Amino acid sequence: MTLVWALRNLGRHPLRTALSLAGIAVASAMLLDMVMLSGGIERSFERLLLGRGFQIRVSPKGTLPFDAEATIADAARVVARLRADPDVVAAAPVLGGALYARAGDSLVTLFGYGIDPSAQSIYRLERGRDLTVGDTVGILLSAPAAARLAAALGDTLRVVGRLDPGIAAAAVERRLVVRGMVRWLYDYRDQPSVGVVLPVMQRLVGAPDHMSLVVLKARDDAAVPRVVGRLRGAEPRLEVNSVAQLVVHFRERLVYFRQLSYILGTVSLIVTVLLVATLLTITVNERLGEIATLRALGVGRPGIVRQVLAEGTALTLLGTALGIGLGVLTARRLDQILTSFPGLPAALSFFVPEPRTLGIAGAILLLTGSVAGLYPAWLAASAPIAATLRAEAT
Amino acid sequence: MSLLVARDLRKDYAMGGEQVHALKGVSLVVARGEYIAIAGPSGCGKSTLLHLLGGIDTPSAGWVELEGVRLGSLRDRDLTRLRLTRLGFVFQRFHLLPVLSARENVELPMAEAGIPTRERRLRAIELLEYVGLGHRRDHRATQLSGGEMQRVAIARALANRPALLLADEPTGELDAATGQEVLDLFRRVNADGTTLVVVTHDAKLATEAGKVVRMLDGAIETVDDT
Repeated sequence: MTLVWALRNLGRHPLRTALSLAGIAVASAMLLDMVMLSGGIERSFERLLLGRGFQIRVSPKGTLPFDAEATIADAARVVARLRADPDVVAAAPVLGGALYARAGDSLVTLFGYGIDPSAQSIYRLERGRDLTVGDTVGILLSAPAAARLAAALGDTLRVVGRLDPGIAAAAVERRLVVRGMVRWLYDYRDQPSVGVVLPVMQRLVGAPDHMSLVVLKARDDAAVPRVVGRLRGAEPRLEVNSVAQLVVHFRERLVYFRQLSYILGTVSLIVTVLLVATLLTITVNERLGEIATLRALGVGRPGIVRQVLAEGTALTLLGTALGIGLGVLTARRLDQILTSFPGLPAALSFFVPEPRTLGIAGAILLLTGSVAGLYPAWLAASAPIAATLRAEAT
Repeated sequence: MSLLVARDLRKDYAMGGEQVHALKGVSLVVARGEYIAIAGPSGCGKSTLLHLLGGIDTPSAGWVELEGVRLGSLRDRDLTRLRLTRLGFVFQRFHLLPVLSARENVELPMAEAGIPTRERRLRAIELLEYVGLGHRRDHRATQLSGGEMQRVAIARALANRPALLLADEPTGELDAATGQEVLDLFRRVNADGTTLVVVTHDAKLATEAGKVVRMLDGAIETVDDT
């Protein structure tokens, strides 16, 4: 009876309740978005790096992968050495650089990946077939690259490397056949990327036996620290990091995101408390006569408190339900805006809904809504019966 | 045998910086099965007396005993329980819960008393039939007329089979015809064994009672059998 009564009481003033619900929904949506933001980007970053199961990144000392000039020389030897490690089950070298493709009379700028098809780590095949080791005439395209070149599976492309824009002369040009359409895991939105086998890429960009990075798959997660430790000792010119370490660095750099989300999350909780408390206080004040009557009839203070708290909880529950929908929609839109920033992988997500964290946020909201009902509940339970009835009668 | 005894009740309270002596030593005995009207002009202290008799206010001095239990000695929780189970209240402005149906309003005190749903539902319907509103049981309080609301309030007051029913100006908001219906109902309730104390300034209602206590200026002026 308590809940039915609570819901009907909320329905007494539909417009007022609707406005309060809208306010709670907005505050809840903000809290949920902040919860998703607080840890979402680092979880998304971790998932992205572990997408193909490679737990270790090896890049030139002090650089980021795909820095134009930063490559690892003597790539074949380094890769052979890494593959010889007893805890390493796969090593995937990648060389990145600028490429161009002829489209009629013009050149389309592309980003090229040189990969080892036997241990590829940075794309997923979506259509067609993958490259094979030794396929020196095959090429893989991302959807944006295919769109810009108007290319389809089986088409032949004229790909140019080592182009000097000043004299518009190609040092190297190759005819390559489109084998497959792929999604590159680390591309930013609409990035036109292509992939060829590593030796072809090395020739195209004029970096024989070089690679931008190599990613390693360890036997199991427990072996990762051992491999990292060994490689740091053996290859001091290389930057060796496990994904877990990269996530820690990432987290340290994004600490302001977390602080921002905590502050805004707290603000939204305060707004929720104020909304619920204000509405219930107004409602209780309007119904003091009714409450005094109930007390006179023998309804105890706990019953009155329970009733007011039930109204606060019902209000928060309804507002939170609306807020979840609103929060998810808002998060999607914000994610679209943020991940369209140049240089950010499109697959990265700033707002990651996790059942556990969302559950905690929901529980905190419900608790908050209930706590917000404490003052009006106390007001209702402590109203003097006779004086209130006397005031009502006059 | 006395159902209720009140001795030397005084009630003082501050109003606008002045001390108001609402009751100046009122004593009253209510026997089981009686129908008493407390009459008097507005402001004479009759509602205050009713509040003290019903344990919803505390006297500045004096005491009230219901069925041998001194109300002043009870903790708030026990006093609330006593009001729930041994007393029934009817107010001038009905004070039904507008969001509940007539049946749900009558069920409310029984729900608080822990009576099982099925049992209290049947009892509520029975009581609504008793007050002549069986056909209106599913109507919200706001859909009822004044007379109907007061009859629902009487059914609600009878829900837990009280020893004493207290009514404060029960016809004050009603026209003559519907007021008469309520008076007829009170007579029937009393005839069926419920003790009644009714506060009124309505002379007609007072004559319906078996005994009229007339008050003036916070004190009992006369007690007459009708």
